[in-house]
Amino acid sequence: MEETSIVNSLLKLRTSVFAWLLLVLVVAGLLSYLPLYVKATDEASVNVQEADVAVRQAFNATLDAERAGANVSNLIMSLNAAGDYLAEAENALRIGDSSAAASNASICMEIATSVQSDANALKASTLNEAHSAFWTDLTFSVVSIAVFVVVLMLVWRWFKRGHVEKMLGMKPEVPDDEA
Amino acid sequence: MMKLDEYKLVFVAVGLIGVLILASPTLGFVLNLPGGEKFSELWVLGPGQMAEDYPFNVTADVNYLVYIGVGNHMGSSAYYAVYVKFRNETEPLPNSTSGMPSPLAVLYEYRVFLQNNASEEFPLNFSFSDVSFSGGRSTVRSITINGVQSNIDDSVSWDTINIGYYYQVFMELWIYNTTLNGFSYSNRFVSLWLKLS
Repeated sequence: MEETSIVNSLLKLRTSVFAWLLLVLVVAGLLSYLPLYVKATDEASVNVQEADVAVRQAFNATLDAERAGANVSNLIMSLNAAGDYLAEAENALRIGDSSAAASNASICMEIATSVQSDANALKASTLNEAHSAFWTDLTFSVVSIAVFVVVLMLVWRWFKRGHVEKMLGMKPEVPDDEA
Repeated sequence: MMKLDEYKLVFVAVGLIGVLILASPTLGFVLNLPGGEKFSELWVLGPGQMAEDYPFNVTADVNYLVYIGVGNHMGSSAYYAVYVKFRNETEPLPNSTSGMPSPLAVLYEYRVFLQNNASEEFPLNFSFSDVSFSGGRSTVRSITINGVQSNIDDSVSWDTINIGYYYQVFMELWIYNTTLNGFSYSNRFVSLWLKLS
């Protein structure tokens, strides 16, 4: 009887040890995934931040091109596409969907980088065009002002001569009461 | 009859006007004339993109649609962010006097780039789920905006004056500031009161 009780106790102990071991293994297994999950979230967060910075830089470059006088309609369209991906990445990150956040951030980054280089090229070409347009307009203005002033002076001399001759050709008129 | 000096004045005036006109193409490169008033617009429209039929009486697990519009009159292209937030009657709205945004969490955001005098509208689909009513309080645990589900766990007491459980969805307009290299709240927000039943 006593032997049966000891065997039962040992069996219970063994079951309990197994249960604890199993629990420890499960917890350890779950914990081993935790750093991976945290790492994935951190990486996604960094990707989104980088994409955000890239979009800002692309917008700054676009604004510079616009201030230089370029037509930036196409760049704004591309920036809107990048902005949509960035917003989706931010929204995904907010709900913990790190894979969607990372993939959207990556596409956004690609578009933003392309926009930035296009904007810089557009700014350079627009500044070149504006430079030559400025010199063309300046030449036109200087030449046309010189011609205009000379013509105006000639007209003035002609008018002045005519006016003086007209004055000299006038006969003095004396009012009747003075005569 | 005019004197010769008076004719001379007329010629000088004509000459100055002519010089200004002929110099205007070049002056255009140098002079920057002041523009008009600079401002941004934010609006909300109903499901037909008109200022009517706004959702008001809402229930759980039903999808509602409104449109958010943004307009740029800042004199140059602008970069905007629209943040969607949710509150009960006691939580703070943005402060129009101090120009401070609401401290509540952002649930959803839009990003948009607009050229000067351009505008754009975006759809905002939203629905509530996991809604409960007990002891004179209602609780909303989840809101889905354009397919993005957020856990909010927001509750409100029965409003005895207006008779109902009232929540508010509101949208803040933020504008990118090139000097600060960051977004700043533009002191513009629009909101929708929602009576949950």
